[in-house]
Amino acid sequence: MSNINPELVEKFTAMAQAVAATVAEVPSKEDAFKYIVDLCLSKDPCELLADEPGTEKGPLGPNRVPTRVQRVLAAPSLNDEDFALLENLCQEKGILCLRDNVRKYAAGIDIGINEAVAGVAASGTCLCPTTDEDVRLAGMISEISIVILKKSDIYPDLPSVAGIMRDAIGNGPEGSFTTLITGPSRTADIECVGAVGVHGPLMMHVLLLEA
Amino acid sequence: MQAPKTYGEYSKEIDEALNDPQLRKTLDKYAITYRTNRAVVMRDIDEATLIHEIAEFKDEAAAHMEELYQQFKAEAEKRGVHVYRAATAAEANQLISDIARKEGVKRIVKSKSMTSEETQLNHKLIADGYVVDETDLGEWILQLRHETPSHMVMPAIHLSRYQVAEDFSKVTQVKQDPDIDRLVKVARVQLRRKFIAGDMGITGCNFAIAECGAITTVTNEGNARMVETMPRVHTVLVGLDKLVRTIDDVMIALQILPRNATAQRITSYVSWVCGPTKWKGSPDGQKSMHIVFLDNGRTKVAKDPIFKQVFRCVRCGACTNVCPVFRLIGGHKMGYIYMGAIGLILTYLYHGEDKAKILSQNCIGCESCHHVCSGGIDLPMLIREVRNRLVDDGDGNAMGSLMKIVMTNRKMFHNLLRFASKAQRPFTAGTQFQRHLPMIFMKKHDFKALPAIAEKAFRDQWGDIAPKVSNPKYRVALFAGCAEDFIYPEQLVAAVKILAACNVAVDFPMDQTCCGLPLGMMGQRKAVQTVARQNVRAFADGNYDYIITLCASCGSTLKKQYVNYLANDPDISYGVVTRFQDKIIDLSSFLRDVLDLKPEDFVNTHEKVTFHASCHQCRALKAADKSRELIQDVADYVPCFEEEVCCGFGGTYSVKFPIISKEIITKKVKNIAETKAERVVMDCPGCVLQIRGAVEKEKLGIKVTHLSELLADKIQPK
Repeated sequence: MSNINPELVEKFTAMAQAVAATVAEVPSKEDAFKYIVDLCLSKDPCELLADEPGTEKGPLGPNRVPTRVQRVLAAPSLNDEDFALLENLCQEKGILCLRDNVRKYAAGIDIGINEAVAGVAASGTCLCPTTDEDVRLAGMISEISIVILKKSDIYPDLPSVAGIMRDAIGNGPEGSFTTLITGPSRTADIECVGAVGVHGPLMMHVLLLEA
Repeated sequence: MQAPKTYGEYSKEIDEALNDPQLRKTLDKYAITYRTNRAVVMRDIDEATLIHEIAEFKDEAAAHMEELYQQFKAEAEKRGVHVYRAATAAEANQLISDIARKEGVKRIVKSKSMTSEETQLNHKLIADGYVVDETDLGEWILQLRHETPSHMVMPAIHLSRYQVAEDFSKVTQVKQDPDIDRLVKVARVQLRRKFIAGDMGITGCNFAIAECGAITTVTNEGNARMVETMPRVHTVLVGLDKLVRTIDDVMIALQILPRNATAQRITSYVSWVCGPTKWKGSPDGQKSMHIVFLDNGRTKVAKDPIFKQVFRCVRCGACTNVCPVFRLIGGHKMGYIYMGAIGLILTYLYHGEDKAKILSQNCIGCESCHHVCSGGIDLPMLIREVRNRLVDDGDGNAMGSLMKIVMTNRKMFHNLLRFASKAQRPFTAGTQFQRHLPMIFMKKHDFKALPAIAEKAFRDQWGDIAPKVSNPKYRVALFAGCAEDFIYPEQLVAAVKILAACNVAVDFPMDQTCCGLPLGMMGQRKAVQTVARQNVRAFADGNYDYIITLCASCGSTLKKQYVNYLANDPDISYGVVTRFQDKIIDLSSFLRDVLDLKPEDFVNTHEKVTFHASCHQCRALKAADKSRELIQDVADYVPCFEEEVCCGFGGTYSVKFPIISKEIITKKVKNIAETKAERVVMDCPGCVLQIRGAVEKEKLGIKVTHLSELLADKIQPK
């Protein structure tokens, strides 16, 4: 607790909010999971952006494609204990909680959870190791991307996380994939007018863990 | 894709763009919002230091390109990447087509890559039978329309929502409303299945990091990471200039690149792909990763003492965003593949003289790009260098050659101007304007009244007006420049009055001549060197404390460019040139910083005065604030909207591209008129010529003068 810098937390929060991310402070993992399950139940049904044979389809969504009846969230990066905790909460509410096989749901899922190893206060950025394809896809094909970040892992600026990036990239010989994530996917390609939710998440929530 | 071959052909293309109201509206809006938003996000960083650091590590990388390539290759191969090197665009395309064939690929999904535009990769892949889908929203729109990008970062900036709605209606067979948010979602729906079905993803690369063999992609839409993740094969096309040494270098650049590109603190996503990872599309699947490095002239450019600077470019597009010419005509008319200031240079370097000959002339030299470049590239200098090389290679034009003959011979040049002063009389009716020029000379220049040559040049008045100052505080010399010497001597007379009133001894060395800027703009390097030598010598023996010029354009040429033109000069030592350069000062800085003039030194008559910050004054000499302070000392200063935007003169530019010059000055004069000021002042006779000419033509009744004339009216004798 002692190495939480409130100024960095405040700056991070302001910067993430400035790019349309929602930031919430959660005392514990369990609170984080409750937040996620509630969000999953309250959001609009997930649209199916591609064919997915055998999947139960609901009414057309705002983009005139069928929606998914089963609520789905993916949390492939969680450790066994955390995953069991989340899965329990999901089961109670009838939510499918994925740990792998995320690719099968590439047409779209409700929520994807990533865990950041560092945050960058200057831009509200999360540094996420995404070498595992399931972990990467969780943050890409979900309508709401959730990143869990410990408050004590927030650093002032990009140069101050260069070492963490170096560790995340690793020294080989295995390949790696690391992602800096800042807000939902966005574009200004039509008339320079900003719009969110292009090929990635429509929304992003950062859950700041009291740790 | 075509590059104009003649001015006539180019002029028609420019006309087309100028008559496209949608393009004009979008670009105009963008120019203004970009400037405002960029300023906001730059506030939280030390912009100058970061730009300097980027320049340093990119210079270092370019100097060690070969070494970094070898290091990158070893690191990437260690992680299982296949690394290739292509000498030419055709070779790169062939390599990628071969990779696709060997990997058994049918469908290719691409994220945005200007390098693949440079090699025209899609043509090759489609010809070889692959299905290729662009997945960046802008690029996808262009692919549907069979068009090319008009901006490096916002490729479809030239299109309206209505055009996009029409295209999307066609592709989906459903009527789509021109609602931007909905249209974005059409791309979301249409492209997801293409990501899923893709066999190979092709991306570009913003930084190729030698220390670990990682490539990074900087994106907002999330399509690049889909392209990198969904298909089994990932192929990267990257220019050798994208090599950098360390992760730390990238962290520095990432603080400027998105701020400069789209006024974002950072983009939504930055992917750091360091070798192939497990692919879960099949049991025990493994990704296959290929990186193709493109040379296409880059190793040669890296060895060029002048052009190597171009590799500081991080493709942010800021040079395009601030360019007053781009703002009017868009990227399709301002580059072959790469556009804007960097585009004019890269067209020459990557696509050859033939493509660059006419395009490279379309820079007004306003320095806006230099001022914002992520790597601090001296873009206007490099554009002049392109013109120099074109002239060196025999691609000059008659106007440049004639100017060279006349302007390098001071006596001939000045006698011609004196002759013109007499010969114009039938046309001026005794005014400062040429009122009755036959229409043949006027065709595209009729937006401004052209100035007359003065009855008596400043140099011919000097003997009569030179003030006597006993015990002077400073000894200064005036550098007149052609425009003030021969068209507006009264601006210099005013300055002499101010200086004498402040007890400053003034001299005017008669051997001085044109500063060389117009010759430089025409690529006449040797001629600039001739006049530069002449000018340095003319002032060398005077033992002056300062050399004052009232022309910001001359000032920036003398102070910023001579040292390059005369580097390694056989006749003049470096020390003599730098001493000359160090003494050059603009009038406002001299009055403010050296003489420390205060409001009480003037009479404030509360005249309502606005200001035009000349390009070379505000950006090259960085002295515009001094002028503003002086205006406030003597008058009621009214700020003008877009005060620091070019007036459209640009010397020979307005002769070569009068229709663009006209559009720029029209906007400038509108902004000036909206201040309701009685007078507009500036620190450059070229701008006076342009603005006064347009104000006279419009009969707006606003006084247009040099700042010196305003101050001379109000100075209190000591």
